[in-house]
Amino acid sequence: MSKYAKPEEFGLADLLCCAASREVADNEIVFAGTGLPMVAIMLAQKTHAPNLKLIFEAGTLDGRPPELPTSVGDARCEMGASRSSGLNDAFSIAQRGLVDLGFLGGAEVDLYGNVNTTCIGDYLEPELRLTGSGGNPDINSFARRTVFIMVHEKRRFVENVSYITSPGWRVKKWPGGEFVHRRELYGAAFRGGPSAVISTAGVFRFDEQSGRMYLDTCHPGKSPEEIRGMCQFDLDISRVKGETELPTREELRIIHEVLDPDEIFIPKVKAA
Amino acid sequence: MSTDKLITLQQAAEIVKNGSKLTFSGFTIWRRPFALIYELIRQKRKNLHLIEVNGGPQTEFLVGAGCVDIWESCWVGHELYGKYGANLSRKVGNKEIIVEDYSHAEMMFRFSAAASGAAYAVTQTSLGTDIHNPEYDMLGRAGLRDGKRIAKHKYVFAEDPFFGAGAQVLIPAVKLDVAVLCVQQVGEEGTVRVNGQYYSDPESARAADITIAIAEEIVPEEYLRRNADQNTIPSFEVDYILECPFGGHPTGMFGRYDVDGNFLKDFYGRTRTQEGFDDFAKEWIFGHDHMSYLEKLGWPRMLKLKANTALNYSPREKKGGK
Repeated sequence: MSKYAKPEEFGLADLLCCAASREVADNEIVFAGTGLPMVAIMLAQKTHAPNLKLIFEAGTLDGRPPELPTSVGDARCEMGASRSSGLNDAFSIAQRGLVDLGFLGGAEVDLYGNVNTTCIGDYLEPELRLTGSGGNPDINSFARRTVFIMVHEKRRFVENVSYITSPGWRVKKWPGGEFVHRRELYGAAFRGGPSAVISTAGVFRFDEQSGRMYLDTCHPGKSPEEIRGMCQFDLDISRVKGETELPTREELRIIHEVLDPDEIFIPKVKAA
Repeated sequence: MSTDKLITLQQAAEIVKNGSKLTFSGFTIWRRPFALIYELIRQKRKNLHLIEVNGGPQTEFLVGAGCVDIWESCWVGHELYGKYGANLSRKVGNKEIIVEDYSHAEMMFRFSAAASGAAYAVTQTSLGTDIHNPEYDMLGRAGLRDGKRIAKHKYVFAEDPFFGAGAQVLIPAVKLDVAVLCVQQVGEEGTVRVNGQYYSDPESARAADITIAIAEEIVPEEYLRRNADQNTIPSFEVDYILECPFGGHPTGMFGRYDVDGNFLKDFYGRTRTQEGFDDFAKEWIFGHDHMSYLEKLGWPRMLKLKANTALNYSPREKKGGK
Protein backbone atom coordinates (compact mmCIF):
# COMPACT_ATOMS: atom_id res chain seq x y z
CA MET A 1 0.00 0.00 0.00
CA SER A 2 1.31 3.45 -0.92
CA LYS A 3 2.27 5.73 1.93
CA TYR A 4 0.17 8.40 0.18
CA ALA A 5 -3.52 8.73 0.83
CA LYS A 6 -6.05 8.26 -1.98
CA PRO A 7 -7.88 11.38 -3.23
CA GLU A 8 -11.10 10.38 -1.48
CA GLU A 9 -9.29 10.05 1.87
CA PHE A 10 -8.35 13.71 2.32
CA GLY A 11 -9.78 17.18 1.84
CA LEU A 12 -8.32 20.38 0.47
CA ALA A 13 -7.44 21.61 3.96
CA ASP A 14 -5.41 18.42 4.53
CA LEU A 15 -3.54 18.95 1.26
CA LEU A 16 -2.76 22.58 2.15
CA CYS A 17 -1.70 21.67 5.65
CA CYS A 18 0.72 18.98 4.45
CA ALA A 19 2.12 21.19 1.67
CA ALA A 20 2.70 23.95 4.25
CA SER A 21 4.31 21.50 6.65
CA ARG A 22 6.82 20.49 3.96
CA GLU A 23 8.03 24.08 3.70
CA VAL A 24 9.55 23.73 7.19
CA ALA A 25 13.10 22.43 7.55
CA ASP A 26 14.40 20.92 10.76
CA ASN A 27 16.10 23.26 13.27
CA GLU A 28 14.46 26.34 11.81
CA ILE A 29 12.92 29.12 13.89
CA VAL A 30 9.35 29.45 12.68
CA PHE A 31 6.79 32.17 13.38
CA ALA A 32 3.24 30.80 13.59
CA GLY A 33 0.01 32.61 12.99
CA THR A 34 -3.42 31.45 14.09
CA GLY A 35 -5.24 28.74 12.16
CA LEU A 36 -4.12 26.20 9.61
CA PRO A 37 -0.43 27.29 9.75
CA MET A 38 -0.35 26.36 13.43
CA VAL A 39 -1.47 22.81 12.54
CA ALA A 40 1.02 22.66 9.66
CA ILE A 41 3.95 23.65 11.86
CA MET A 42 2.97 21.28 14.64
CA LEU A 43 2.69 18.55 11.98
CA ALA A 44 6.24 19.32 10.86
CA GLN A 45 7.31 19.24 14.51
CA LYS A 46 5.86 15.72 14.83
CA THR A 47 7.29 14.42 11.52
CA HIS A 48 10.36 15.68 9.66
CA ALA A 49 11.31 18.72 11.77
CA PRO A 50 11.35 17.62 15.44
CA ASN A 51 13.88 20.33 16.34
CA LEU A 52 12.08 23.32 14.88
CA LYS A 53 11.65 26.26 17.24
CA LEU A 54 8.17 27.66 17.28
CA ILE A 55 7.45 31.30 18.12
CA PHE A 56 3.96 32.62 18.78
CA GLU A 57 3.58 36.33 18.15
CA ALA A 58 1.94 36.94 21.54
CA GLY A 59 5.14 35.97 23.35
CA THR A 60 5.72 32.20 23.43
CA LEU A 61 9.30 31.31 22.52
CA ASP A 62 10.22 27.77 21.44
CA GLY A 63 6.75 26.44 22.15
CA ARG A 64 5.78 22.78 22.15
CA PRO A 65 2.05 22.96 22.80
CA PRO A 66 0.65 19.55 23.72
CA GLU A 67 -2.79 20.67 22.63
CA LEU A 68 -3.71 22.81 19.62
CA PRO A 69 -4.06 26.49 20.59
CA THR A 70 -7.05 28.32 19.11
CA SER A 71 -5.06 31.54 18.68
CA VAL A 72 -1.56 32.74 19.48
CA GLY A 73 -2.69 34.44 22.71
CA ASP A 74 -4.04 31.11 23.96
CA ALA A 75 -2.97 29.66 27.33
CA ARG A 76 -2.27 26.44 25.37
CA CYS A 77 0.67 28.06 23.54
CA GLU A 78 3.14 28.16 26.36
CA MET A 79 2.82 24.72 27.96
CA GLY A 80 6.29 23.21 27.54
CA ALA A 81 7.78 26.37 26.03
CA SER A 82 11.31 27.57 26.62
CA ARG A 83 10.04 30.99 27.63
CA SER A 84 6.75 32.80 27.92
CA SER A 85 7.06 36.54 27.38
CA GLY A 86 5.42 39.24 25.31
CA LEU A 87 5.18 40.90 21.92
CA ASN A 88 8.22 43.09 22.36
CA ASP A 89 10.34 39.93 22.62
CA ALA A 90 8.67 38.24 19.67
CA PHE A 91 9.05 41.22 17.33
CA SER A 92 12.54 42.08 18.54
CA ILE A 93 13.62 38.52 17.79
CA ALA A 94 12.15 38.88 14.30
CA GLN A 95 13.83 42.24 13.70
CA ARG A 96 17.09 40.81 15.04
CA GLY A 97 16.98 38.39 12.10
CA LEU A 98 16.53 35.15 14.01
CA VAL A 99 13.37 33.99 12.23
CA ASP A 100 13.78 31.61 9.29
CA LEU A 101 10.21 31.13 8.23
CA GLY A 102 6.78 32.64 8.79
CA PHE A 103 3.34 31.48 7.68
CA LEU A 104 0.86 34.15 6.67
CA GLY A 105 -2.48 34.64 4.97
CA GLY A 106 -4.15 37.28 2.86
CA ALA A 107 -7.26 38.41 1.05
CA GLU A 108 -5.44 39.49 -2.15
CA VAL A 109 -2.00 38.81 -3.64
CA ASP A 110 -0.30 40.28 -6.73
CA LEU A 111 2.32 38.97 -9.15
CA TYR A 112 5.16 40.10 -6.84
CA GLY A 113 3.74 38.59 -3.68
CA ASN A 114 2.43 41.84 -2.23
CA VAL A 115 -0.45 40.93 0.04
CA ASN A 116 -3.49 42.83 1.24
CA THR A 117 -5.34 42.20 4.50
CA THR A 118 -6.49 45.78 5.08
CA CYS A 119 -9.36 46.72 2.77
CA ILE A 120 -11.10 45.92 -0.49
CA GLY A 121 -11.41 48.92 -2.83
CA ASP A 122 -9.88 52.38 -2.44
CA TYR A 123 -8.41 52.77 1.06
CA LEU A 124 -10.00 56.20 1.37
CA GLU A 125 -13.41 54.95 0.18
CA PRO A 126 -13.30 51.25 1.04
CA GLU A 127 -15.89 48.78 -0.16
CA LEU A 128 -14.94 46.62 2.80
CA ARG A 129 -12.60 47.23 5.69
CA LEU A 130 -10.84 43.98 6.69
CA THR A 131 -8.90 43.07 9.84
CA GLY A 132 -5.84 45.20 9.13
CA SER A 133 -2.20 44.17 9.03
CA GLY A 134 -1.62 42.36 12.29
CA GLY A 135 1.93 41.02 12.21
CA ASN A 136 1.78 40.14 8.52
CA PRO A 137 4.12 42.91 7.25
CA ASP A 138 6.45 42.49 10.20
CA ILE A 139 7.06 38.79 9.67
CA ASN A 140 7.25 39.38 5.95
CA SER A 141 9.81 42.16 6.42
CA PHE A 142 12.08 40.25 8.77
CA ALA A 143 11.89 36.48 8.13
CA ARG A 144 14.15 34.80 5.58
CA ARG A 145 11.17 33.11 3.98
CA THR A 146 7.44 33.52 4.21
CA VAL A 147 4.73 31.19 2.97
CA PHE A 148 1.22 32.42 2.25
CA ILE A 149 -1.79 30.14 2.50
CA MET A 150 -4.75 31.47 0.52
CA VAL A 151 -8.12 30.63 -0.95
CA HIS A 152 -7.69 30.72 -4.74
CA GLU A 153 -10.22 32.89 -6.51
CA LYS A 154 -9.60 35.09 -9.55
CA ARG A 155 -10.65 38.17 -7.57
CA ARG A 156 -7.89 37.43 -5.05
CA PHE A 157 -4.97 36.88 -7.50
CA VAL A 158 -4.90 40.40 -8.89
CA GLU A 159 -2.80 42.75 -11.02
CA ASN A 160 -2.66 45.30 -8.20
CA VAL A 161 -3.81 44.69 -4.64
CA SER A 162 -6.13 47.35 -3.19
CA TYR A 163 -3.58 48.09 -0.45
CA ILE A 164 -0.11 46.68 0.06
CA THR A 165 -0.32 45.49 3.64
CA SER A 166 2.63 43.15 3.44
CA PRO A 167 5.73 43.60 1.28
CA GLY A 168 6.44 41.24 -1.63
CA TRP A 169 9.45 41.22 -3.96
CA ARG A 170 8.72 44.50 -5.72
CA VAL A 171 7.37 47.15 -3.38
CA LYS A 172 6.56 50.84 -3.30
CA LYS A 173 9.28 53.36 -2.65
CA TRP A 174 7.87 56.37 -0.85
CA PRO A 175 7.15 59.25 -1.15
CA GLY A 176 6.67 58.65 -4.90
CA GLY A 177 5.30 55.12 -4.71
CA GLU A 178 7.31 53.74 -7.69
CA PHE A 179 7.95 50.00 -7.58
CA VAL A 180 11.48 48.85 -6.70
CA HIS A 181 13.00 45.49 -5.78
CA ARG A 182 12.74 45.03 -2.02
CA ARG A 183 16.51 44.53 -1.78
CA GLU A 184 16.92 48.22 -2.64
CA LEU A 185 14.65 49.34 0.18
CA TYR A 186 15.62 47.02 2.97
CA GLY A 187 19.38 47.47 2.77
CA ALA A 188 21.11 45.62 5.58
CA ALA A 189 17.76 44.22 6.75
CA PHE A 190 17.17 42.38 3.46
CA ARG A 191 17.04 38.67 4.19
CA GLY A 192 14.61 37.31 1.63
CA GLY A 193 10.89 37.48 1.09
CA PRO A 194 7.84 35.46 0.11
CA SER A 195 9.05 32.01 -0.95
CA ALA A 196 5.74 30.30 -1.68
CA VAL A 197 2.03 30.82 -2.00
CA ILE A 198 0.02 27.70 -1.27
CA SER A 199 -3.47 28.27 -2.64
CA THR A 200 -6.44 25.99 -2.94
CA ALA A 201 -5.37 25.45 -6.59
CA GLY A 202 -1.62 24.95 -6.48
CA VAL A 203 1.76 25.91 -5.09
CA PHE A 204 3.47 29.03 -6.43
CA ARG A 205 7.02 30.24 -6.01
CA PHE A 206 8.97 33.39 -6.85
CA ASP A 207 11.89 34.16 -9.10
CA GLU A 208 14.07 36.13 -6.72
CA GLN A 209 15.65 38.30 -9.44
CA SER A 210 12.51 39.40 -11.28
CA GLY A 211 10.36 39.01 -8.18
CA ARG A 212 7.65 37.37 -10.28
CA MET A 213 5.43 34.51 -9.19
CA TYR A 214 5.42 31.24 -11.12
CA LEU A 215 3.43 28.05 -10.83
CA ASP A 216 5.39 25.24 -9.19
CA THR A 217 2.89 22.41 -8.70
CA CYS A 218 -0.82 21.88 -9.39
CA HIS A 219 -3.19 20.36 -6.87
CA PRO A 220 -4.89 17.14 -8.06
CA GLY A 221 -7.45 17.80 -10.79
CA LYS A 222 -6.09 21.23 -11.76
CA SER A 223 -4.19 21.91 -14.99
CA PRO A 224 -1.59 24.69 -15.35
CA GLU A 225 -3.77 26.43 -17.94
CA GLU A 226 -6.77 26.29 -15.65
CA ILE A 227 -4.75 27.81 -12.82
CA ARG A 228 -3.41 30.53 -15.11
CA GLY A 229 -7.03 31.34 -15.90
CA MET A 230 -7.65 31.81 -12.19
CA CYS A 231 -5.21 34.75 -12.01
CA GLN A 232 -5.78 38.31 -13.21
CA PHE A 233 -2.05 38.69 -13.92
CA ASP A 234 -0.03 36.74 -16.49
CA LEU A 235 1.13 33.69 -14.53
CA ASP A 236 4.31 31.93 -15.64
CA ILE A 237 3.44 28.24 -16.07
CA SER A 238 6.64 27.25 -17.88
CA ARG A 239 8.34 25.90 -14.78
CA VAL A 240 5.63 23.56 -13.48
CA LYS A 241 7.11 20.45 -11.87
CA GLY A 242 3.93 18.39 -11.73
CA GLU A 243 1.35 17.58 -9.11
CA THR A 244 1.49 18.77 -5.49
CA GLU A 245 2.73 15.97 -3.24
CA LEU A 246 -0.26 14.29 -1.64
CA PRO A 247 -0.72 13.87 2.12
CA THR A 248 0.53 10.60 3.51
CA ARG A 249 -1.70 8.36 5.62
CA GLU A 250 0.61 9.01 8.58
CA GLU A 251 0.29 12.79 8.18
CA LEU A 252 -3.50 12.50 8.06
CA ARG A 253 -3.47 10.36 11.19
CA ILE A 254 -1.40 12.96 13.06
CA ILE A 255 -3.60 15.85 11.89
CA HIS A 256 -6.90 14.22 12.81
CA GLU A 257 -6.04 12.01 15.75
CA VAL A 258 -3.31 14.01 17.49
CA LEU A 259 -3.34 17.67 16.48
CA ASP A 260 -6.89 18.66 15.60
CA PRO A 261 -9.27 15.90 16.69
CA ASP A 262 -11.99 18.49 17.39
CA GLU A 263 -11.78 19.78 13.78
CA ILE A 264 -11.12 23.33 14.94
CA PHE A 265 -9.20 24.24 11.81
CA ILE A 266 -9.19 21.12 9.62
CA PRO A 267 -12.42 19.23 8.92
CA LYS A 268 -12.31 15.46 8.53
CA VAL A 269 -13.33 13.97 5.24
CA LYS A 270 -16.27 11.68 5.85
CA ALA A 271 -15.89 8.23 4.32
CA ALA A 272 -18.31 7.82 1.44
CA MET B 1 0.37 48.70 53.75
CA SER B 2 -1.77 51.03 51.73
CA THR B 3 -5.16 50.27 50.24
CA ASP B 4 -6.01 53.77 49.09
CA LYS B 5 -5.69 52.68 45.46
CA LEU B 6 -8.89 50.67 45.78
CA ILE B 7 -11.79 51.95 43.68
CA THR B 8 -15.08 50.65 42.29
CA LEU B 9 -15.83 49.73 38.70
CA GLN B 10 -17.96 52.86 38.33
CA GLN B 11 -15.12 55.04 39.62
CA ALA B 12 -12.68 53.31 37.31
CA ALA B 13 -14.87 54.14 34.33
CA GLU B 14 -15.13 57.76 35.48
CA ILE B 15 -11.33 58.10 35.32
CA VAL B 16 -11.67 57.61 31.58
CA LYS B 17 -12.94 60.95 30.31
CA ASN B 18 -14.63 61.87 27.06
CA GLY B 19 -11.77 62.24 24.60
CA SER B 20 -9.29 60.19 26.66
CA LYS B 21 -6.47 58.38 24.92
CA LEU B 22 -6.94 54.86 26.10
CA THR B 23 -5.35 51.41 25.88
CA PHE B 24 -5.92 47.95 27.34
CA SER B 25 -4.05 44.88 28.46
CA GLY B 26 -4.25 41.62 26.54
CA PHE B 27 -3.95 40.26 23.07
CA THR B 28 -6.82 39.88 20.56
CA ILE B 29 -9.32 37.71 22.49
CA TRP B 30 -7.32 37.30 25.71
CA ARG B 31 -7.33 39.33 28.97
CA ARG B 32 -9.35 42.36 27.91
CA PRO B 33 -10.92 44.42 30.76
CA PHE B 34 -14.51 43.75 29.71
CA ALA B 35 -16.19 44.68 32.99
CA LEU B 36 -14.86 48.20 32.47
CA ILE B 37 -15.61 48.21 28.71
CA TYR B 38 -19.25 47.52 29.55
CA GLU B 39 -19.28 50.23 32.23
CA LEU B 40 -17.85 52.80 29.78
CA ILE B 41 -20.67 51.94 27.39
CA ARG B 42 -23.26 52.27 30.19
CA GLN B 43 -21.80 55.66 31.13
CA LYS B 44 -21.98 56.64 27.43
CA ARG B 45 -18.36 57.73 27.16
CA LYS B 46 -17.70 59.65 23.91
CA ASN B 47 -14.88 60.72 21.59
CA LEU B 48 -12.40 58.14 22.85
CA HIS B 49 -9.06 57.82 21.08
CA LEU B 50 -8.11 54.14 21.30
CA ILE B 51 -4.44 53.33 20.83
CA GLU B 52 -3.97 49.59 20.84
CA VAL B 53 -1.05 47.30 20.01
CA ASN B 54 -3.81 45.10 18.59
CA GLY B 55 -7.57 45.32 18.77
CA GLY B 56 -10.20 42.71 19.48
CA PRO B 57 -13.72 42.30 20.83
CA GLN B 58 -13.19 45.23 23.22
CA THR B 59 -12.59 47.49 20.22
CA GLU B 60 -15.70 46.17 18.54
CA PHE B 61 -17.90 46.77 21.59
CA LEU B 62 -16.68 50.34 22.15
CA VAL B 63 -16.80 51.20 18.46
CA GLY B 64 -20.25 49.65 18.02
CA ALA B 65 -21.53 51.67 20.98
CA GLY B 66 -20.31 54.90 19.39
CA CYS B 67 -17.74 55.64 22.11
CA VAL B 68 -14.75 55.93 19.75
CA ASP B 69 -13.68 58.72 17.39
CA ILE B 70 -10.14 57.53 16.58
CA TRP B 71 -8.63 54.03 16.49
CA GLU B 72 -4.86 53.70 16.06
CA SER B 73 -3.79 50.10 15.77
CA CYS B 74 -3.16 47.26 13.35
CA TRP B 75 -5.78 44.54 13.65
CA VAL B 76 -9.31 43.90 14.80
CA GLY B 77 -11.35 40.70 14.80
CA HIS B 78 -12.38 37.80 17.00
CA GLU B 79 -9.79 35.22 15.83
CA LEU B 80 -11.64 32.02 14.86
CA TYR B 81 -14.92 33.28 16.34
CA GLY B 82 -15.38 36.13 13.87
CA LYS B 83 -13.27 36.94 10.82
CA TYR B 84 -13.08 40.70 11.08
CA GLY B 85 -14.36 43.67 13.06
CA ALA B 86 -17.80 44.19 11.56
CA ASN B 87 -18.62 47.24 13.70
CA LEU B 88 -15.37 48.99 12.87
CA SER B 89 -15.81 48.07 9.22
CA ARG B 90 -19.32 49.56 9.16
CA LYS B 91 -18.18 52.80 10.81
CA VAL B 92 -15.17 53.12 8.50
CA GLY B 93 -17.54 52.76 5.56
CA ASN B 94 -19.81 55.48 6.99
CA LYS B 95 -16.81 57.68 7.85
CA GLU B 96 -17.91 57.76 11.48
CA ILE B 97 -14.45 56.88 12.75
CA ILE B 98 -10.83 57.73 11.90
CA VAL B 99 -8.56 54.69 11.58
CA GLU B 100 -4.79 55.13 11.60
CA ASP B 101 -3.07 51.94 10.42
CA TYR B 102 0.36 50.90 11.63
CA SER B 103 1.91 47.44 11.58
CA HIS B 104 1.82 45.24 14.67
CA ALA B 105 5.54 45.58 15.38
CA GLU B 106 5.33 49.33 14.77
CA MET B 107 2.57 49.61 17.37
CA MET B 108 4.58 47.51 19.83
CA PHE B 109 7.71 49.57 19.29
CA ARG B 110 5.71 52.81 19.69
CA PHE B 111 4.55 51.53 23.10
CA SER B 112 8.11 50.50 24.02
CA ALA B 113 9.38 53.96 23.11
CA ALA B 114 6.74 55.61 25.28
CA ALA B 115 7.52 53.21 28.14
CA SER B 116 11.19 54.20 28.07
CA GLY B 117 10.51 57.90 27.74
CA ALA B 118 11.89 58.03 24.19
CA ALA B 119 10.30 60.38 21.68
CA TYR B 120 10.16 57.79 18.94
CA ALA B 121 11.17 54.31 17.88
CA VAL B 122 13.22 53.35 14.86
CA THR B 123 12.63 50.23 12.80
CA GLN B 124 12.82 48.74 9.32
CA THR B 125 9.53 46.92 9.37
CA SER B 126 6.87 47.32 6.69
CA LEU B 127 9.06 49.33 4.29
CA GLY B 128 7.47 49.47 0.83
CA THR B 129 3.90 48.98 2.04
CA ASP B 130 0.89 51.28 1.93
CA ILE B 131 1.20 51.70 5.69
CA HIS B 132 3.77 54.35 4.68
CA ASN B 133 1.72 55.80 1.83
CA PRO B 134 1.75 59.56 2.56
CA GLU B 135 -1.81 59.84 1.22
CA TYR B 136 -2.99 57.48 3.94
CA ASP B 137 -2.05 59.58 6.97
CA MET B 138 -5.59 59.77 8.25
CA LEU B 139 -4.97 61.91 11.35
CA GLY B 140 -3.01 64.29 9.13
CA ARG B 141 -5.85 64.41 6.61
CA ALA B 142 -8.21 65.27 9.47
CA GLY B 143 -5.91 68.12 10.57
CA LEU B 144 -5.39 66.56 13.98
CA ARG B 145 -1.57 66.39 14.05
CA ASP B 146 -0.94 69.21 16.52
CA GLY B 147 2.44 67.93 17.75
CA LYS B 148 1.12 67.83 21.31
CA ARG B 149 -1.62 65.28 21.86
CA ILE B 150 -1.01 63.74 18.43
CA ALA B 151 2.40 63.46 16.76
CA LYS B 152 3.25 65.97 14.03
CA HIS B 153 3.89 63.13 11.56
CA LYS B 154 2.62 59.58 11.20
CA TYR B 155 6.20 58.48 10.46
CA VAL B 156 9.45 59.97 9.14
CA PHE B 157 11.99 58.22 6.92
CA ALA B 158 15.68 58.44 7.75
CA GLU B 159 18.92 56.80 6.66
CA ASP B 160 20.93 54.95 9.29
CA PRO B 161 23.57 57.59 10.24
CA PHE B 162 25.69 55.14 12.24
CA PHE B 163 26.29 51.94 10.31
CA GLY B 164 24.86 52.69 6.87
CA ALA B 165 22.20 50.00 7.28
CA GLY B 166 19.88 51.83 4.90
CA ALA B 167 16.34 53.14 5.13
CA GLN B 168 14.82 53.42 8.56
CA VAL B 169 11.38 54.52 9.62
CA LEU B 170 10.91 56.67 12.72
CA ILE B 171 7.56 56.23 14.42
CA PRO B 172 6.27 58.38 17.28
CA ALA B 173 5.95 57.15 20.85
CA VAL B 174 2.32 56.70 21.83
CA LYS B 175 0.82 59.27 24.22
CA LEU B 176 -1.63 57.61 26.55
CA ASP B 177 -3.88 59.05 29.24
CA VAL B 178 -5.12 55.77 30.67
CA ALA B 179 -4.21 52.08 30.49
CA VAL B 180 -6.69 49.58 31.87
CA LEU B 181 -5.29 46.16 32.66
CA CYS B 182 -7.13 42.92 33.27
CA VAL B 183 -4.87 40.58 35.23
CA GLN B 184 -4.88 37.56 37.52
CA GLN B 185 -3.52 39.18 40.69
CA VAL B 186 -2.80 42.61 42.09
CA GLY B 187 -1.46 43.45 45.55
CA GLU B 188 -2.96 46.12 47.79
CA GLU B 189 -0.15 48.50 46.84
CA GLY B 190 -0.49 47.85 43.12
CA THR B 191 2.08 45.16 42.34
CA VAL B 192 0.76 43.12 39.42
CA ARG B 193 1.44 39.47 38.74
CA VAL B 194 0.46 38.33 35.27
CA ASN B 195 0.54 34.59 34.65
CA GLY B 196 1.23 33.36 31.15
CA GLN B 197 2.21 35.49 28.17
CA TYR B 198 2.23 39.11 29.30
CA TYR B 199 1.67 40.44 25.75
CA SER B 200 2.33 44.22 25.85
CA ASP B 201 1.04 44.87 29.37
CA PRO B 202 4.30 46.06 31.02
CA GLU B 203 4.84 48.67 28.29
CA SER B 204 1.19 49.80 28.44
CA ALA B 205 1.33 50.32 32.21
CA ARG B 206 4.58 52.27 32.04
CA ALA B 207 3.56 54.36 29.03
CA ALA B 208 0.19 55.58 30.34
CA ASP B 209 -0.24 58.56 32.68
CA ILE B 210 -2.78 56.60 34.73
CA THR B 211 -2.90 52.81 35.05
CA ILE B 212 -5.88 50.93 36.46
CA ALA B 213 -5.45 47.25 37.30
CA ILE B 214 -8.61 45.14 37.34
CA ALA B 215 -7.75 41.81 38.91
CA GLU B 216 -9.46 38.49 39.37
CA GLU B 217 -8.30 38.81 42.95
CA ILE B 218 -6.61 41.36 45.18
CA VAL B 219 -4.02 39.50 47.22
CA PRO B 220 -1.85 40.58 50.14
CA GLU B 221 0.98 42.71 48.80
CA GLU B 222 3.33 40.82 51.09
CA TYR B 223 2.40 37.53 49.35
CA LEU B 224 3.51 38.90 45.96
CA ARG B 225 6.71 40.37 47.41
CA ARG B 226 7.83 36.98 48.65
CA ASN B 227 8.61 36.09 45.00
CA ALA B 228 9.32 39.44 43.40
CA ASP B 229 10.93 37.72 40.39
CA GLN B 230 7.49 36.43 39.40
CA ASN B 231 5.87 39.87 39.37
CA THR B 232 5.19 41.72 36.14
CA ILE B 233 4.52 45.36 37.00
CA PRO B 234 5.89 47.31 39.98
CA SER B 235 3.51 48.87 42.51
CA PHE B 236 4.18 52.53 41.68
CA GLU B 237 3.18 52.10 38.04
CA VAL B 238 -0.35 51.17 39.08
CA ASP B 239 -2.54 54.03 40.29
CA TYR B 240 -5.83 52.27 40.98
CA ILE B 241 -6.86 48.71 41.69
CA LEU B 242 -10.09 46.78 41.87
CA GLU B 243 -11.21 43.20 42.16
CA CYS B 244 -13.56 41.88 39.54
CA PRO B 245 -13.85 38.10 39.09
CA PHE B 246 -14.51 37.00 35.51
CA GLY B 247 -13.84 40.64 34.60
CA GLY B 248 -12.35 39.61 31.27
CA HIS B 249 -15.32 37.60 30.03
CA PRO B 250 -15.96 36.90 27.10
CA THR B 251 -12.17 37.02 26.53
CA GLY B 252 -9.99 34.40 28.21
CA MET B 253 -7.40 34.52 30.96
CA PHE B 254 -4.45 32.15 31.40
CA GLY B 255 -4.98 29.90 34.39
CA ARG B 256 -8.45 31.26 35.10
CA TYR B 257 -10.90 30.79 32.22
CA ASP B 258 -11.06 30.16 28.50
CA VAL B 259 -12.39 32.43 25.80
CA ASP B 260 -16.19 32.19 25.56
CA GLY B 261 -16.24 31.39 21.86
CA ASN B 262 -20.00 30.99 21.67
CA PHE B 263 -20.49 34.45 23.14
CA LEU B 264 -18.09 36.01 20.61
CA LYS B 265 -19.67 34.11 17.70
CA ASP B 266 -23.07 35.32 18.80
CA PHE B 267 -21.80 38.91 19.06
CA TYR B 268 -20.10 38.74 15.65
CA GLY B 269 -23.17 37.24 14.00
CA ARG B 270 -25.64 39.68 15.52
CA THR B 271 -23.80 43.01 15.28
CA ARG B 272 -23.23 43.46 11.55
CA THR B 273 -25.82 46.24 11.65
CA GLN B 274 -26.21 49.08 14.14
CA GLU B 275 -29.68 47.78 15.05
CA GLY B 276 -28.11 44.41 15.75
CA PHE B 277 -25.48 45.99 17.98
CA ASP B 278 -28.05 48.05 19.87
CA ASP B 279 -30.12 44.94 20.44
CA PHE B 280 -27.09 43.01 21.72
CA ALA B 281 -26.13 45.89 24.03
CA LYS B 282 -29.67 46.05 25.38
CA GLU B 283 -29.53 42.36 26.22
CA TRP B 284 -26.04 42.14 27.73
CA ILE B 285 -24.91 45.64 28.82
CA PHE B 286 -27.62 48.16 29.64
CA GLY B 287 -29.58 47.54 32.81
CA HIS B 288 -26.83 45.27 34.12
CA ASP B 289 -23.96 45.62 36.50
CA HIS B 290 -21.08 43.16 36.65
CA MET B 291 -22.84 40.80 39.08
CA SER B 292 -26.10 40.67 37.17
CA TYR B 293 -24.09 40.07 34.00
CA LEU B 294 -22.47 37.06 35.66
CA GLU B 295 -25.89 35.90 36.88
CA LYS B 296 -27.16 36.08 33.34
CA LEU B 297 -24.21 34.01 32.15
CA GLY B 298 -24.88 31.51 34.91
CA TRP B 299 -22.67 29.12 36.79
CA PRO B 300 -22.86 26.19 34.35
CA ARG B 301 -21.44 28.32 31.55
CA MET B 302 -18.76 29.85 33.77
CA LEU B 303 -17.73 26.45 35.15
CA LYS B 304 -17.39 25.14 31.62
CA LEU B 305 -14.95 27.98 30.88
CA LYS B 306 -13.04 27.69 34.16
CA ALA B 307 -9.42 26.65 33.64
CA ASN B 308 -7.93 23.49 35.02
CA THR B 309 -5.32 24.69 37.51
CA ALA B 310 -2.66 22.23 36.30
CA LEU B 311 -3.19 22.89 32.57
CA ASN B 312 -4.06 26.62 32.83
CA TYR B 313 -6.88 26.17 30.31
CA SER B 314 -10.20 24.40 30.27
CA PRO B 315 -10.07 20.97 28.69
CA ARG B 316 -13.86 20.80 29.02
CA GLU B 317 -14.52 23.75 26.77
CA LYS B 318 -15.14 22.78 23.18
CA LYS B 319 -12.81 25.19 21.54
CA GLY B 320 -14.23 26.00 18.20
CA GLY B 321 -16.46 25.47 15.26
CA LYS B 322 -15.89 23.33 12.26
